Amino acid sequence: MREGQAWRNFDGVLVCAVAALVAYGAAMLYSASYAGEVAFFWTMDSPVTRHLLYALVGLGLLVLVARLDYHVYSYWSPAIYLALLLLLGAVLVAGESIYGARRWLDSPLIPIQPSELAKTGVIIVLAQYFAARQANIKSPRTTLGSLVLAGLPLALVFLQPDLGSAMIFAAIWGGMALAAGTPLLHFAVLGSLAVATLPLAFTHLLKDYQRDRLLLFLNPAQDPLGDGYNIIQSEISIGSGGLLGKGFLNGTQTQLHYLRIQKTDFIFSVIGEELGFVGALLLFILFAVLIFRVLRSSSVAPDSLGRLIASGVAVALLFQVFINIGVNIRLLPVTGIPLPFISAGGSSLMSTMLALGVVQSVAMRRKPRHRFESA
Amino acid sequence: MFLARRQRWQVKRKKQDEGHALRRRLVLLRLLTVLAFVVLAGQLWRLQIVEGSRYQQKAEANRLRLLPLPPQRGVIYDRNHTILARNAPSFTAAVVPADLPEDQQPAVVARLEAILGMPGETITRLIDERRTQRLLFAPVPIKTDLPREQAFILEEHHTELPGVSVLAEPIRAYPEGDEVAHVLGFLGRISAEEYATLKDQGYTINDTLGKMGVEYTYEGLLRGTPGVEQVEVDVNGRRVQALSTRPTTPGANLVLSIDLDLQRAATQILRQGMGISKFAAAVVMDVRTGEVLALVSLPTYDNTMFGSPARAAEVQALLTDPARPMLNYAVSGRYPPGSIFKLITGTAALQEGVATPATRIFSPGVIYVSGWPFYDWAALGSLDFQRAITMSSNVYFYYLAGGYGNFVGLGPDRLARYAREYGLEEVTGIDLPGEVGGIVPDSQWKLATTGEAWLQGDSYNFGIGQGFLAVTPLQMARAAAAIANGGEVLVPRVVREAVDHQGNVVLPLERRVVRRVNVSAEHLRTIREAMRQAAASGTGTLAQVPGVTVAGKTGTAEFSKLAGSREHLTHGWFLGFAPFDNPEVAIVTFVERGRGAQDAAPIAGKILRSYFEQVRPR
Repeated sequence: MREGQAWRNFDGVLVCAVAALVAYGAAMLYSASYAGEVAFFWTMDSPVTRHLLYALVGLGLLVLVARLDYHVYSYWSPAIYLALLLLLGAVLVAGESIYGARRWLDSPLIPIQPSELAKTGVIIVLAQYFAARQANIKSPRTTLGSLVLAGLPLALVFLQPDLGSAMIFAAIWGGMALAAGTPLLHFAVLGSLAVATLPLAFTHLLKDYQRDRLLLFLNPAQDPLGDGYNIIQSEISIGSGGLLGKGFLNGTQTQLHYLRIQKTDFIFSVIGEELGFVGALLLFILFAVLIFRVLRSSSVAPDSLGRLIASGVAVALLFQVFINIGVNIRLLPVTGIPLPFISAGGSSLMSTMLALGVVQSVAMRRKPRHRFESA
Repeated sequence: MFLARRQRWQVKRKKQDEGHALRRRLVLLRLLTVLAFVVLAGQLWRLQIVEGSRYQQKAEANRLRLLPLPPQRGVIYDRNHTILARNAPSFTAAVVPADLPEDQQPAVVARLEAILGMPGETITRLIDERRTQRLLFAPVPIKTDLPREQAFILEEHHTELPGVSVLAEPIRAYPEGDEVAHVLGFLGRISAEEYATLKDQGYTINDTLGKMGVEYTYEGLLRGTPGVEQVEVDVNGRRVQALSTRPTTPGANLVLSIDLDLQRAATQILRQGMGISKFAAAVVMDVRTGEVLALVSLPTYDNTMFGSPARAAEVQALLTDPARPMLNYAVSGRYPPGSIFKLITGTAALQEGVATPATRIFSPGVIYVSGWPFYDWAALGSLDFQRAITMSSNVYFYYLAGGYGNFVGLGPDRLARYAREYGLEEVTGIDLPGEVGGIVPDSQWKLATTGEAWLQGDSYNFGIGQGFLAVTPLQMARAAAAIANGGEVLVPRVVREAVDHQGNVVLPLERRVVRRVNVSAEHLRTIREAMRQAAASGTGTLAQVPGVTVAGKTGTAEFSKLAGSREHLTHGWFLGFAPFDNPEVAIVTFVERGRGAQDAAPIAGKILRSYFEQVRPR
């Protein structure tokens, strides 16, 4: 495949959607950290500046990663897997503790959240695994092997404890197994097993605060000034936004700080309050375009490996968006998952950009179009 | 060949099937994506469009607060427009519990203790009280009237003192000292019970309100109407901006009938004259209008210590002082009047025809009823009405009240009727809190109270103002005014008028007559003449004022027997008015453990002298 032909297949729509989302995110971060001082936004202390800078670096990474044939990544997948297990192990031992959970590794440049990088790694590793076993995809052994592969990092993340990220790994496995053609019977068996052990998991596996979060979801009013506070306030923020919102920088819940964690996990509430239903729909459309472009890469991929990588990325994106917004609009209990491209946070942005770079690499090496085939 | 072709076709077909299956899985992923966003949009629609207005109300309730604006309290003047109570700008050290993390509280309290110089336990108690009431956002006043340096120190160190703030709030200042404390009263912090009943009237948990004196009686006029400010507040309760304001209406100003100079002179004279007595009172009242020109109760107290938590110990000491300085003895103390009551007995006897000015009775110094001796203070011999009053004969009034031998007296019920007409039973209705009425006994009263029948001896005691009878100094002052003004029993008042902030008189000067006593003008003249003679040559000579004819009567009321002695403990009274020809003021002085002629009369004379020489010439 010639280089020029590859770049001709570079997915411009996808990158435009990413750029639009990053810009949307920067605007909302501006609002979420607005304090009436504009000069603040030209320093590195500003989350807006950092967000744009990360995005720029991330786009560079995306292009770099896209240049390389994605088969190279699959070739290195054992090394990637080992590296991500080591990183996740390291964070448990030496991580920075925030609110009692170890999720961060301090590095000279920026603090790294290994679980974010591990998502992309797990997608590549699982894609390689499933692609190599396409002939035996209906064998329970294949399914079990993939479960172990995804289960190890999941367990390490869960121990941090980070239930949200652990759920993302589960979702990635599910989406990719589905795309790989794992028999639906396997899903059914695993699903019933999961449901059967759910009560046990609730009482033995979950930490107290995780149980509390689930209970609070059912009735936030039992602790309106404590942990239930933000559940109530995010609901009020979004609900009060109405159809068109209160206007950029005019959200009373946001600007008067009734809404907490508004730069990260609850940034969607800022959108809901200030830009209303219409602003939220615009965000949905951008995300939908992005995910459909990733799924398109999946369907035009030249081989199973490419198809599976793209499906994994699509599922990971969809799941994060759904969980994050679902938490904001009180469909789901609180789990600390950032909203891709919108929430402040370098690791999440970089990791997503890396993943999209791999997807671009797949798109650029797409199978020849039909008309070339017939010609 | 054919088979081979067929097999190849089958293989291809199988591959195609697998391809279809996998493509179907991708379609499933697309469907899942669409479904996810449809679910999200659906819930969003429910929150923002269907229930949007409900959430908008909640968001408004979050950010909007109605803050009461305290009105400016009315100023209190004396009758000559000297300021007696005003609002002074001052600093108050306060703590907002919500802004003070509980783990830092001990350290902050320790620093406040050092800076403010008040006990740390007091500060902790004040803050913890609010914490338990869950009133976390309202500032808790710790020390009012902060010295400027302390306010500066607090401001300087505010970063190390989370939750501590310095409020600029006016405090009530009483510039003229403790001589007017009993009349003015004071403001205090609203109590939890008061707050519960008054919060609908716009009182806040940090408000002060009148607790005593005219500050209490005229709270409604003095306070004014609080305004309301609608403000936007952030999550910490800090105001971001004001949205709308309903302005306050300042309270009305009061002009007292009290003359500060006379009040001050009367206080000093009474203080000097009372000697070792525990308490004493004096009332000077305008006999024409009922206005009280001076109302003194000793001991008095410093009325500036209230409302400042830092002076709580002083307040506590005041409340437990055995001399009870916060009791206004002029209106709240009830004592037997002694001989000054003979004026009432006398007018009753004249009016009822029991006696005439010419009635002569012989006092041998003691008379006996059923073997019990009833003493006069000396064997005064034969006395007519005037002389009986001048010399303050007991025997004469034993006859008038209870009869003796063939002489028919008034008896308890008739005498009680006159005592009530002079207003000795009911409260006078003065505009001061804590007033008590008197005890006017009669035969029924005795039966109901003690279960015993009325005896002639009871009438004797009643007739000379002893026994069961008990009255307040203010009641006697009003009775004196009635004798002086021709029989009108007035409602005494310490406030002349109230003027609102626009200059409108909201409470006009008004003379209120309760009743006219059923005694003819002629009989009242007789009594007045008798009082003139008493002051001129009788027991009340020490009440004389140069150049002014004073009429008056002393009283020395026994109230208990000294242990192991025939001597009785006595209260000293003087009741009078002046000038004799055209009465202006009535006066009553009362000295606990004193005597009428030696203690109460000279005090009254000096006060009257002050009135005629300093106050009246103005």
